[in-house]
Amino acid sequence: MTALLLLHLIAGVLAPVLVRWWGRQAFLALALVPAASFVWTLLQLRTVLAGDDVRETVPWVPALDLDVALRLDALALTFAALVTGVGALVLVYCARYFSPEDEGTGRFAGSLTAFAGSMLGLVLADDVLLLYVFWELTTVFSFLLIGGSGRRLAARRAASQALVLTTAGGLAMLVGLIVIGQASGSFLLSEILADPGSGPAMVWGAVLVLAGAVTKSALVPFHFWLPAAMEAPTPVSAYLHAAAMVKAGVYLVARLAPAMADVPGWRPLVLGMGVATMLVGGYRALRQKDLKLLLAFGTVSQLGFLVTLVGAGSRELAAAGLVMTLAHALFKSTLFLTVGVVDHATGTRDLSRLSGLGRRLPLLAVTGTLAAASMAGLPPLLGFVGKEAAFTALLDGGLADRTAALAVLVGLVAGSVLTAAYTARFLWGAFARKPGVADTEVGHAPEPLFLAAPVLLSLTGLVLGPASPLLDGLVARYADTLPLLAPEVEHLALWHGWQPALALSALTVAGGAALFAVRGPVGRLQRRMAVGASADEGYWNVLQGVDRLSVAVTGTTQRGSLPAYLGTILVAVLALPGVLLLTRAPWPGQWRAWDTPVQAVVGIVVVTAGVLALRIRQRLSAVLVVGVTGYGIAVVFALQGAPDLALTQFLVETLTLVVFVLVLRKLPKDITERHRPRERAVRGVIAVAVGAFMAAAGAVALAARTGTPVSEGYPGPAYDYGGGKNVVNVTLVDIRAWDTLGEVSLLVVAATGVASLVFLRRRTGGVERAPRTRLAQAERGRRAPRDRWLAATATLDPARRSVVLEVVTRLLFHTIMVFSLYLLFSGHNEPGGGFAGGLVAGLALVLRYLAGGRYELGEAAPVAPGLLLGGGLLFAGGTGVVGLALGAGVLQTAILESTLPVLGDVKLVTSLFFDIGVYLIVVGLVLDVLRSLGAELDRQDDEEDPVELDPGEVVLR
Amino acid sequence: MIEVLAPLPVLLPLLGAAGALLASGHPTFQRTLSLVVLTAVLAVSVVLLLVADAEGAGAVSVGGWPVPLGIVLVVDRLSALMLVVASTVALGVLVFAVGQGAADGSEETPLSIFHPTFLVLVAGVSNAFLAGDLFNLYVGFEILLMASYVLLTLGGTAARIRGGITYVVVSLTSSLVFLAAIALVYAATGTVNMAQLAVRLGELPEGTQLLLQSMLLIAFGIKAAVFPLSAWLPDSYPTAPAPVTAVFAGLLTKVGVYAIIRTQTLLFPGGALDELLMWAALATMLVGILGAVAQSDLRRMLSFTLVSHIGYMVFGIALGTAAGLAGAVFYVAHHIAIQTTLFLVAGLVERQGGSTSVHRLGGLARRSPMLAVLFFVPAMNLAGIPPLSGFIGKLGLLQAGVAEGSVLAFTLVAGGVVTSLLTLLAVARVWTRAFWRPASQPPAEETAAAAAADATARRRPDDETGDATGEEGDGLADGRPRTALQDAWRRHTAVALAAEPGLPPAAGAVRALRPLPRTMVGATTALVALTVALTGLAGPLYGLADRASVDLIDRTPYITSVFGTEEVP
Repeated sequence: MTALLLLHLIAGVLAPVLVRWWGRQAFLALALVPAASFVWTLLQLRTVLAGDDVRETVPWVPALDLDVALRLDALALTFAALVTGVGALVLVYCARYFSPEDEGTGRFAGSLTAFAGSMLGLVLADDVLLLYVFWELTTVFSFLLIGGSGRRLAARRAASQALVLTTAGGLAMLVGLIVIGQASGSFLLSEILADPGSGPAMVWGAVLVLAGAVTKSALVPFHFWLPAAMEAPTPVSAYLHAAAMVKAGVYLVARLAPAMADVPGWRPLVLGMGVATMLVGGYRALRQKDLKLLLAFGTVSQLGFLVTLVGAGSRELAAAGLVMTLAHALFKSTLFLTVGVVDHATGTRDLSRLSGLGRRLPLLAVTGTLAAASMAGLPPLLGFVGKEAAFTALLDGGLADRTAALAVLVGLVAGSVLTAAYTARFLWGAFARKPGVADTEVGHAPEPLFLAAPVLLSLTGLVLGPASPLLDGLVARYADTLPLLAPEVEHLALWHGWQPALALSALTVAGGAALFAVRGPVGRLQRRMAVGASADEGYWNVLQGVDRLSVAVTGTTQRGSLPAYLGTILVAVLALPGVLLLTRAPWPGQWRAWDTPVQAVVGIVVVTAGVLALRIRQRLSAVLVVGVTGYGIAVVFALQGAPDLALTQFLVETLTLVVFVLVLRKLPKDITERHRPRERAVRGVIAVAVGAFMAAAGAVALAARTGTPVSEGYPGPAYDYGGGKNVVNVTLVDIRAWDTLGEVSLLVVAATGVASLVFLRRRTGGVERAPRTRLAQAERGRRAPRDRWLAATATLDPARRSVVLEVVTRLLFHTIMVFSLYLLFSGHNEPGGGFAGGLVAGLALVLRYLAGGRYELGEAAPVAPGLLLGGGLLFAGGTGVVGLALGAGVLQTAILESTLPVLGDVKLVTSLFFDIGVYLIVVGLVLDVLRSLGAELDRQDDEEDPVELDPGEVVLR
Repeated sequence: MIEVLAPLPVLLPLLGAAGALLASGHPTFQRTLSLVVLTAVLAVSVVLLLVADAEGAGAVSVGGWPVPLGIVLVVDRLSALMLVVASTVALGVLVFAVGQGAADGSEETPLSIFHPTFLVLVAGVSNAFLAGDLFNLYVGFEILLMASYVLLTLGGTAARIRGGITYVVVSLTSSLVFLAAIALVYAATGTVNMAQLAVRLGELPEGTQLLLQSMLLIAFGIKAAVFPLSAWLPDSYPTAPAPVTAVFAGLLTKVGVYAIIRTQTLLFPGGALDELLMWAALATMLVGILGAVAQSDLRRMLSFTLVSHIGYMVFGIALGTAAGLAGAVFYVAHHIAIQTTLFLVAGLVERQGGSTSVHRLGGLARRSPMLAVLFFVPAMNLAGIPPLSGFIGKLGLLQAGVAEGSVLAFTLVAGGVVTSLLTLLAVARVWTRAFWRPASQPPAEETAAAAAADATARRRPDDETGDATGEEGDGLADGRPRTALQDAWRRHTAVALAAEPGLPPAAGAVRALRPLPRTMVGATTALVALTVALTGLAGPLYGLADRASVDLIDRTPYITSVFGTEEVP
């Protein structure tokens, strides 16, 4: 069975190629696939009739009980034969339906073949979850087939409507199947049927599963997608929307009825919706002028009929239902195919424009009439057998509740009258000669191959009527799984003798004929009784409602305002941890305001600076005030006895200020943005509250500590194992070197990012050495200071030069550089380290740049920052890899001690290489920032190459 | 084995980045280097996964420092699985970006910046997955965030800077919350080693635990884009270059989800905040998907589905059962692949059609059947159509929800089903409007409003209600006078919908067909194939997710791998 399904899949994928090679003849090759499946299915008949199932299981996702578990029993065999048989014939029909120049035939062929495979899988699946898989696949292929090329609006709408509606039902069904599966302890249909669960879960499961069946089989109130789906090409209507896909709901109801029919709610729902659908469909069919729509509403009506029969949960009705399903598939696909031929031959399906076709296409007329007769329930066709069996069953007690049985019987008879009436309307509309309408021109006579499928299907319906006793064994295999309510089993036969059901059949035919005879007045009456709303409108209105809701929700939550987003985050902090802190957390027993009063002083300074930063309108001053908070923190670090941290914080703060100042050159002097007082008040409250929360949370967290902090274990190993006395530095380059590696790579990226934003197109500009010509020009300038202290200051505008600064820089630069190296190398034992050293070197570069301008920077560091960054990263990361390569752990430190001639005892700790990497990266970062935010912006100013970015463009909302 | 291999997914990309920086003038070398490095990372990750699955979790102490002094990297089933999925999509995106760079030159994605930054991003993601130390997890986040700031603003166009500012400021805020939370955790326990925290946090008073847990959840919730902390995402992601958005969408939010999984299972077992998470999951799913339904731009729509489906994963986590976690883990793996793929496809769509707005696109299915397949299959996967992996993940979560059986769990199940349906609606609309609808037909006809009007007209064929244009559907084609209220509403929603001020271009204004570079199509096809292959691999993959979640609930495999024993100091 898996092989058959795979065969369909492969054929579906290959179909577009085959169509390209062979044109529409490819359909004949594709038809072989379902045909082979049909033959295989029939070959299993003997086994199945003997009471054995054909099973096959391939594990798929065992953790979810989702396996490719297939089972062929009597019910599956009936549906499989129907699906594959009709499928093969429809594909043959397609070989003539499409003309060679039609576009998209390949895509269509692929979808149709794949659909046939999905449908086969659906009826074979034993795992309910697998059933859902195929169920949904048929939905998707139906979407593609209805939409076709997508050129027509109506087709697109119908396709998406069918997709959304049947998927909605399908999802409900999925949940229902899960509920049923968990309640029954198994997801295998065979096991659920053998031992269904009980309790309220089954009721929920039943209702949800029915939602799937009802939408798929187009029952009221979800019937409207089916007529709309008639936008699809006729073969699709014949196959999906008559024989196969819409039968999936019928199949599911039939499949579950043995286990679920007695679950409360099942019968009222199934019978109520079934009968209502039969009546509504028949009623609407009487109004249609398009032959296809007439058939579509007829299908809706018949689906209601079928679901009523198979869902009732008794042996006799189930048997009737199965026969009727078979009959319906045969006659309805024939009729659709007939309409397709008519459409093809005449170019219209409008029954008011067709006339006299019966004489021109006699074979087609006979075929259509045979099928129609089956639909109306005339002997000796299969439709008659099924309908008779249904009436008999209801009369003989096929429903335990007699009142319900009577109501259902009345409904079904009324529905059958409507069926007979629209059958007559169909035949009349398609083939009769109408007064006042000219005979329709027939473009070309249909080829024999085009007629083969409908003829074969209608003949099957004709043969199976008298031969219905042959079906009895198969039908009984399934029906016997349900309780028999009548006194004795009624076997299938064309002739049961004179009995009440026969009278009912006669009544329906007569009633139908009468209704057709008075079609004029009936039509006028129907028009007058037009209802206030249609289900179709309801669907689109619901969808419109979803659209409005989505716009409202999104418009309210997605404000595009950064302050709003930040506010949300902070309010969330207050609402969750804040509230938990107030209500649940244990407050510390004792409070200590400060360790030394100096902390309080620093605190006041920092807070004051923070408040000032909000009030000051001048950007530069605001930035400086922000800097004060940073220096304040550095002081706190120093007070706590952390000189390394204080040093680093101090250097970072300074560098940040420089960078700020460089950037501020490009920004307006003042902050002009104003906020409304209420906004400010709200923000103020949030800010203060978050600050207070953090302080309190810190106190609470500290008070809760019982364990020993890991840092207490650092000093000893830091010296013994890391070879350094400065625990902070050993932590940075050894104990937590992995963190540092991450942080320096972050710096590399930050530098790259700054450069990328300023240079935009390149990683960075080339190194700008001082141009000789400009130096020479400057030499001749009278007003320039005589002496050159720095390499490139001569290129500066004399007004911008400061001799004092130049001299100081000249004196200090190399000293600072040496100091930075000292910090780097001594860092392992004294305060310092690669990070601090790099920052100091960076400040030296800042000095050179400030004193001498952009060319001076190039002279001071004639190297591309990318090289420093890349080299540094290579150093830092390389120490990790080298360790690995030497068989040690990643980033593991080795201590090499030796005595050198001059220097005496030298202790080399390999983590120094790591620190060198850090140093290089920090220098590279500063250099990159200076070059992009300093030198490049200078260049843009000098060369009147303004930044393209208008600052106003980036205002925050 | 693990000792040698575990650091490599971080070290290799970092060294690759160094190499790429040093070779900044040699694009061919950069390309080759990046490809080699990411391929190696993928290979290493696969080996790690195999080892972790066969032998259980393993840990490496960086620098050989005794635990808990130094930093540990922990490879368990979950982190190894995440590594494999992440490195796979990273490689795919890199190939796509190389293709795009080769086709466009360096105008929109300057490759000399892209390569090192992208490699560092991968290193950050890997580090976050491997971190066995809360502060190192923070470092991992910072690496990937810093790289993402750069990537998001590549090329520096106004839209990217604007989106970038939102992204950077929100991310910094989330980092601040995370860092503060770490400080509080250290203050309370004196350690940041996660295995040790697993024990020490449990010894704290319950209220303090809740305080710390909720702080961490908020920090990760922002990164994972959980409602109401999610609004930043759709405002910033769609503006970046296609490969960047793709990798962000696939990986970055999932790192947040990963962190939530770790926090909820390892550090704070017992599910004290599960109910709250359930509500957050529900709101994330529904608000996110409604946002997607409202969008007409493919990329924005995808960004909203991204948010929405984060809700699925949070749902699985919040259930707190092994089944729920397994569903969440599987869904993470699926969603990384699918969301990346779809954003790459969106990049192809933009190239082919000159826009990602469905109003401006049209007739793509006929113009490029290949592109149609490349969109349709993953789109259906996103919508959870079986037998694709999205369905399997959804099925796992629904089963776990039904098994939980509480009213709240069933509410979530219902919410999940509605989300699934609306996702289908959203992607089907893109399909019908951009792929099926010929560009010559007006997009206004496609709205539900127009269809409803037509349905009314059909029901009353005699009436004169031929007006089939939308009432207010998307503010496109109606010449009727508007009320002040309607105008105010339009202004209110304009930002959220990224509404275009003017009418869509008339027929024929669609840009001429640009050929799709083979490398880009190849990379996208490979990822689409991967997402399809997940269907066949679902059995082993789900089994792995199942085992991973059992480990997570058990906690001892993780703790033992770090300390060697169950005794923790």
